[in-house]
Amino acid sequence: MKLIKRTYFLTALWLLPVMFIGSIFCFYMIEYIAYEETDEFLTYEMERLLEYHKENGNLPDYHKVSDIIPGLRYEQPLFKDTLLLETGDNEMVPYRMLYFTINHKGRDFTIVLNHLLLGKDDIAQGTVLIIFGLMFLVAAFLVLIVNHVTRKVWAPFYVTLGRLTHFKIGDPLPRFPETTIEEFGALNATLSALLKKITNDYQHNKEFNENASHELQTHLAVIRSNAEKLLNKTPEKSGNLKELQTIYSASTRLSQVQRSLLLLSRINNGEYSDDVDVDIRQLLLQALSIYSETIELRDIAMDKEIQSCHIFIDAGLAEILLNNLVKNAVKHNVQGGFISLKLTSFMLIVENSGLPIHGQPERMLQRFAKGENGNWGIGLAIVSQICELYGFRLSYEVSGGSIHKITIRWR
Amino acid sequence: MKILIVEDNLNLLEAIRETLVAERYVCETAEKYTTASEKIYMYTYDVMVVDINLPDGSGLKLIREIKKINPETGIIIISARDSLDNKIEGLELGADDYLTKPFDMAELVVRVKALLRRRNFSGKATISFGNITIDTGRREVTAGTMKINLTKSEYNILLFFFSNPNRVLTKESIAEHIWGDNMDLADSFDFIYSHIRNLRKKITSAGCDDPIRGVYGIGYRLKRDYN
Repeated sequence: MKLIKRTYFLTALWLLPVMFIGSIFCFYMIEYIAYEETDEFLTYEMERLLEYHKENGNLPDYHKVSDIIPGLRYEQPLFKDTLLLETGDNEMVPYRMLYFTINHKGRDFTIVLNHLLLGKDDIAQGTVLIIFGLMFLVAAFLVLIVNHVTRKVWAPFYVTLGRLTHFKIGDPLPRFPETTIEEFGALNATLSALLKKITNDYQHNKEFNENASHELQTHLAVIRSNAEKLLNKTPEKSGNLKELQTIYSASTRLSQVQRSLLLLSRINNGEYSDDVDVDIRQLLLQALSIYSETIELRDIAMDKEIQSCHIFIDAGLAEILLNNLVKNAVKHNVQGGFISLKLTSFMLIVENSGLPIHGQPERMLQRFAKGENGNWGIGLAIVSQICELYGFRLSYEVSGGSIHKITIRWR
Repeated sequence: MKILIVEDNLNLLEAIRETLVAERYVCETAEKYTTASEKIYMYTYDVMVVDINLPDGSGLKLIREIKKINPETGIIIISARDSLDNKIEGLELGADDYLTKPFDMAELVVRVKALLRRRNFSGKATISFGNITIDTGRREVTAGTMKINLTKSEYNILLFFFSNPNRVLTKESIAEHIWGDNMDLADSFDFIYSHIRNLRKKITSAGCDDPIRGVYGIGYRLKRDYN
């Protein structure tokens, strides 16, 4: 939810109790004022009648006088509420009555004045009209004010957010706007420091990768070429051959491991991001052709159902992904085993026979997971990393002890 | 055949030079971009083996220069950089081949020979060892008088052997030659063993002696005293 919408929403929520309390207040206020006015009016009438009686000794014919009760005396004028039947529409309506006593020729007479009061329903109706009108006005002005204020106050925040969204690691650092608001100033400063740190780390990591790749591989090349030279020079019966072979193998293996680690590190670093529309079907067929002879050598039965599938991905990474999957299915297979491939535009399933594994199948997706006979290698870790990068869902299951199944759901 | 080797690591440079000299090529070396640049302006070479990362310039720039001066020169890039990025750029500039460090000298030799064959015979050449002949243009192998049918890998292995007749080919180098980066070494030795067993079978059943000899624990080589 957008900041401004949220603000509206919360403000509106707070207006509800205001509306409720306001309505009650308004209702009683109107009622109070109505009583005051009526009482004032009746008092005034009473005084007028008393005045008249004093001057003229009798009472005028006055329609507000509803009753004259002889013989009853009130020391003080008394107000009462009552309901009277309105003959017009046959309805009980509230009246305010004033009882007061005058002494006429030695006899007490209590005179009753009455005046129509505002009905509760009338007050309620008025209240609702007032409150709703008021709230409408308040809401309208709030929208205008909140809109204006938010835009103005949060402007530096939105600029920062915009620059941050467009920032890609490796780009020059974004410059955030100067602001007089302390919190935004702090936010910008923290973000700048953080981005600088991240960019530096990224650069160092990248440089390390480049150095590792260039310097190490060159020296490994020297070791390897010299070991190779010695292998060719040393007589076969000589006892040194085995040691030499060990050095040579280790250097070869080392460079391969290092290349894989570098690849992982660079995928992780997001250094491959040249995403294009890639024909996965074609790449899968290409990967199969690389291993076709190996599949034949092992007498592996192929069962493939390959449909068209296009994905937006870095072409190099797509190739690595598919090659690793097929390679994995071939190299961990058994003589006379099977591979079953299914590619659709939603998913890729690679199922193959293999050796039984112990422990969690998901563990195979980690780097250098240890198997019964040595390392399972790094191929699946690379697959897993690529899937993570693109948000593909990867799962690894083993069923029946030795049937391995890798499923990748593209989205 | 004259080859220019450009590589800033002296040890590696020497190893490459020795290897290629042993194959009877005339070799010149340069450790820096400037030296290499001077040389390509003064002499013509059949092949240039060039490292991309040089202390005072880029090997890619050298490729651009040599393509202008002498486009006939074959170019093999050797680079430690990840094959994914430089490879494409190098090949687009007109390089003929790309080797990622570290590589086996046997691999370099087979690439140089293949490059020279493509340049000099426009793809038609035969290589023989004993009475076995490979026609690299047609990708046909004749053992004695009989043509034998080899799979792609078997053919590549045989050509690899024939290009390096005086060299022990390690299991590792054969694996890399066939699969490149596409197979983990330790897992591939079984497959290599099967390929070589099948290759031997095909050659002997054509009536020829088996030219390949195992070197225990290390790999294979061609028999020195093969007829």
